[in-house]
Amino acid sequence: MVVINMVPVTRFRSAPNFMRLGYETGNLLIYVFLTNRTTKASCKDVNTQKFPLLQLQVMLETNRIDSKQPIDLCTLCNTGLVSIKPASMEFGFQLTDEGADKFKSKICIEVQHAKESVIAAIERNGGIIRTAYYDPRSLHVIKNPEKWFEKGVPIPKRLLPPQDAIGYYTSAENRGYLADPEEISKHRLVLAQKYGYDLPKIEDDPDYEMLTSMKDARQLFYGLEPGWVISLKDQTIIKPKECTQ
Amino acid sequence: MAAVWRSCGPFLKGFAGKTSQIPNNAADFIGRLRPVPVLILPVNYSSYAKSPFVYKIEERYNYDVVKKPIEWKYVERLLPFETIPNPLIKDKYPSGWVPPKEEAKELPYFIHRSKNHFLPVYLKISLRGSKKISIIRKIDGDIWLLNDELKKFLKDKNKMYVETRVHELAQFIEVKGDYVIDIRNWALSKGF
Repeated sequence: MVVINMVPVTRFRSAPNFMRLGYETGNLLIYVFLTNRTTKASCKDVNTQKFPLLQLQVMLETNRIDSKQPIDLCTLCNTGLVSIKPASMEFGFQLTDEGADKFKSKICIEVQHAKESVIAAIERNGGIIRTAYYDPRSLHVIKNPEKWFEKGVPIPKRLLPPQDAIGYYTSAENRGYLADPEEISKHRLVLAQKYGYDLPKIEDDPDYEMLTSMKDARQLFYGLEPGWVISLKDQTIIKPKECTQ
Repeated sequence: MAAVWRSCGPFLKGFAGKTSQIPNNAADFIGRLRPVPVLILPVNYSSYAKSPFVYKIEERYNYDVVKKPIEWKYVERLLPFETIPNPLIKDKYPSGWVPPKEEAKELPYFIHRSKNHFLPVYLKISLRGSKKISIIRKIDGDIWLLNDELKKFLKDKNKMYVETRVHELAQFIEVKGDYVIDIRNWALSKGF
């Protein structure tokens, strides 16, 4: 409950005291919670949960995350160490540059926001980073896919970002998932020159196929299409024959 | 009191098409002196009694049930592991994580790693930040010997007497003050 009127709090035989306005019996106060938060999807560095590169490196070393497969929000939540609260207007993860100097892994990662120095740190080691948008309903699905599959509901279609966030995800500087691939490869070179490292050739890499595996803009899970119902118990997939929408 | 007109079929059949005064309703009797036609209300789905039974559900989509599909490997990739995996043995760990060593098992005491493979050395802060206690958990073996060695090490390093509290049953040692980094480095040097 939130205190909006003067509510007297009395003990036996003492003068009444009033709980201060806005008090929420110990919860995080709404006016404190909202000082650094917005409902706008565009304010990514505020709306996303910080995930340091150092923690990512430690997870990769201790075999918590498999570096041989693409990493996205689902893999990060499946480690059990971090999670997202879509109901509290969190839109995903952002990689911070704490530990960017120590970062030495080649990965294919997809986050919701990343700074320039972070993008440089990942590409310097021959990896690929993309920023992608998930709408709040898709976030619930992707945060815990096992729970979603157990419901028996078909995989939903991922929605496009709202007006104020589209600019971020279509720009190649931010490695947005809606950006032009040619522009992205041009900006990779630009960043390499800016930060002063040799850009490794991904085409010559034995993991080329894994690194360039990209999800469609409407796809939630790589390899699985929206509309499919997955039965974990019977190991079957129910696929609709025609597209009805 | 408003009249409740029941739209049940057999009841209304008697009234359909007839025009008469409504007998049991006092208010209407006073208000209306001329005959009023009885209306048959449309079916109202808001209650269980009034809505008709559903006999046939038509499937909206034609679907395929694919058993052992090729895409199953993508589904397995999304499921979390049941236990925390063990770290792989490598030459170098650039992040600064140090694996435990085999030679540590020969010492008279032992400090287990946590389930996330880190040292169980933590800092407890209370009293609005003025009280700091460093705690080392999961200690097996000769805990008093470990205590003596740790105290000596911390005294030499900080040139100050360091107070500790040993809890043999709960297998922890509490050190008064913030010496977490020193304790961690000492434990790593021993190979824990």
